Amino acid sequence: MSLKKRLKIIFTISNKELIDYVRDWRTLLAVVLVPLLMFPTIFFVLPIVMQSELDERQSLNLEVLIETNQNSSEFEFLTLEFSDNLLNYSIIDLNTDVEFNDTSIIMKDIKNSKISSVLRLSYDSNSSIWNYYIIYDSTQESSGEAYLRISTALSKWEDNLTSERINDAGLNEEAILNPLQPEESIQGDIATAAEQAGFVFSFIIPLFVSIWTATSGVQPSIDITAGERERGTLESLLCAPCSRLELLLGKWLAVTCIVAVSIILQLAGLVFAISFIMSGNLLQPPELSLFSILLFLLAVSVFGIMVVALEMALAMRSRSVKEAGSILGPMMLFFFLPAIFAQFINLESIELFWFAVPAVNVLLAMRELLQNEIYLIHVFIWVFSSLIYAAAASWYASRQFLREDLVESLS
Amino acid sequence: MGQLLLSVKNVTKTFGTLNALEEFSIDIEKGAVIGLVGSNGAGKTTLLRLLCGLYRPNLGNVVFVKDGDEKNIDKFREAVGVLPESTGLYHRLTAWENIRYHSRLHGVPDSISWERTLRFSKALSMSDDLMRHTRGFSRGMRQKTALLRALAHGPEILLLDEPTAGLDVTSARLVRKLVHQLKEEGGTVIYSTHNLSEAEKVCDRIIILHNGQLRFDGSNEELLLETGTKSLEDAYVKLTSDDARIKEKEETEGWFAKRWRHLFTRKINYTATKEDE
Repeated sequence: MSLKKRLKIIFTISNKELIDYVRDWRTLLAVVLVPLLMFPTIFFVLPIVMQSELDERQSLNLEVLIETNQNSSEFEFLTLEFSDNLLNYSIIDLNTDVEFNDTSIIMKDIKNSKISSVLRLSYDSNSSIWNYYIIYDSTQESSGEAYLRISTALSKWEDNLTSERINDAGLNEEAILNPLQPEESIQGDIATAAEQAGFVFSFIIPLFVSIWTATSGVQPSIDITAGERERGTLESLLCAPCSRLELLLGKWLAVTCIVAVSIILQLAGLVFAISFIMSGNLLQPPELSLFSILLFLLAVSVFGIMVVALEMALAMRSRSVKEAGSILGPMMLFFFLPAIFAQFINLESIELFWFAVPAVNVLLAMRELLQNEIYLIHVFIWVFSSLIYAAAASWYASRQFLREDLVESLS
Repeated sequence: MGQLLLSVKNVTKTFGTLNALEEFSIDIEKGAVIGLVGSNGAGKTTLLRLLCGLYRPNLGNVVFVKDGDEKNIDKFREAVGVLPESTGLYHRLTAWENIRYHSRLHGVPDSISWERTLRFSKALSMSDDLMRHTRGFSRGMRQKTALLRALAHGPEILLLDEPTAGLDVTSARLVRKLVHQLKEEGGTVIYSTHNLSEAEKVCDRIIILHNGQLRFDGSNEELLLETGTKSLEDAYVKLTSDDARIKEKEETEGWFAKRWRHLFTRKINYTATKEDE
């Protein structure tokens, strides 16, 4: 059979798979909407929700108790801060029968939300030092909020006390408190904005590309292999005069297209979220050479070939969608763990063998390329090893397509 | 005798310890409508899958004869139209899209497969449903669509696995009528069924399979003559009086999977009572 005819068969198969897949409305959700809206939602909706919750918490009037051995006039600054921060305080004398660090008496009131927090405050006139601690319950939101507000008020009071004492001693407050001051008008970082962007993106993009490649390929891989087997459509397809390799390539092409669309849309969503929603000045596009871009695409492609081929091979071994899901679900760890692991490997003075470790090599390559760094020895190792892994995965997948029991279906 | 089209030579097909077919040999001539009759598990589907190249024989071979030359079965797949036991339609595609997909894989232009589909769909009363998605199709409509799919690329031989199973009387009659039409046009059909009366109505040659062995190969009249019976049913019973295999094909299950499953399989300890004995 001529190459043209073979290609026609491969495209016929992939075309049908894409049409069949796209006609399911759930596909729109999984392949288009989720990847496209994921980052804008995280970057846009999440901060709004968080801010609204924070505002709600900060508007709460909280009941707190100050236990002290001093007159309130001695800490008037603190009580004013309490009032400003919606802390309704009551002052009681510090019980001299109870140890200063004994929290048992007050614990019940905080647990029952009668009061949010207690500030225990005592003054040592010999050392002129205020001793304090805050009793609160970190598992209660109102108590935690009271703790934050009391800590802030105490911090301001401390600053005020410090200034007063420095001034009383006739010293220069600025020279004592800020003896070292950075020159803010001069930019010391010699990295350009584009280089900084490349550095940041080198941590984000490879991680998401690898995770999304693995996850977005699972469902279509299962659907067009184990799904076909389960529905009994594979038998008639295997009777057609096309080789198993053509069948594999046609299906692989379809899954790869779906994965590619998912990744492109997800990256578009990420760039949109960073560029327009957060701030236009936060990150600029990294400056990459054409060679870096091409190598980056090669890295993503060989990684995609390997992942999709492996997923399809394992799904093809399964007799049902359920069985395939049980196998491919845990297998995601084999892609997630290297993806996370690769983030912690130091790229400077990196050992060469890392560029030959499956999955890790491609992720490290992406990190280097996004920083526009090309080391030919690294490129040679990761390209060569990745092609071997991709070929091995494809060979394994083609072996699965030759199995005789493929024609047997649960239906 | 017509021109030889397909030859199955001493084929043995085993699955684990089960012999699905044992030293099986038949010749199929062009223009014949052959009924493949046998009980469940007799080996009919295995034979059909061997004929369309889905299975490889453990022993023997299946050859396709073209212009007097014997060719490998793989070369024959372009010339085969198959209606498998499960219709195997993609439910998100229309009936025509299902048919067109397979025709394209056979390298047949859409215009030709459309013309053939239209012609046969009229015979099957299906022309109005060709553009409908097959999701809502009844069993009969699915079967008819699968039959149109098998015919659209103009096969030299049609392999039908239980084509009327689950069909209503009218649909089954339409299918049989179509097979007659194909026969008149010189087509070759292998018609697998366990319904003898159907085989009698449709086929001019009957092959009886039992326990993976060939028990009879000839015309209806020859069958009655050979068995000395008056009806095909009696003839069939006489030829297949030994017990059918109870043991089904062994599950393709790994060592660990098998033991794991057995761990959770309840064992019933049955103690025979005196009455049972």
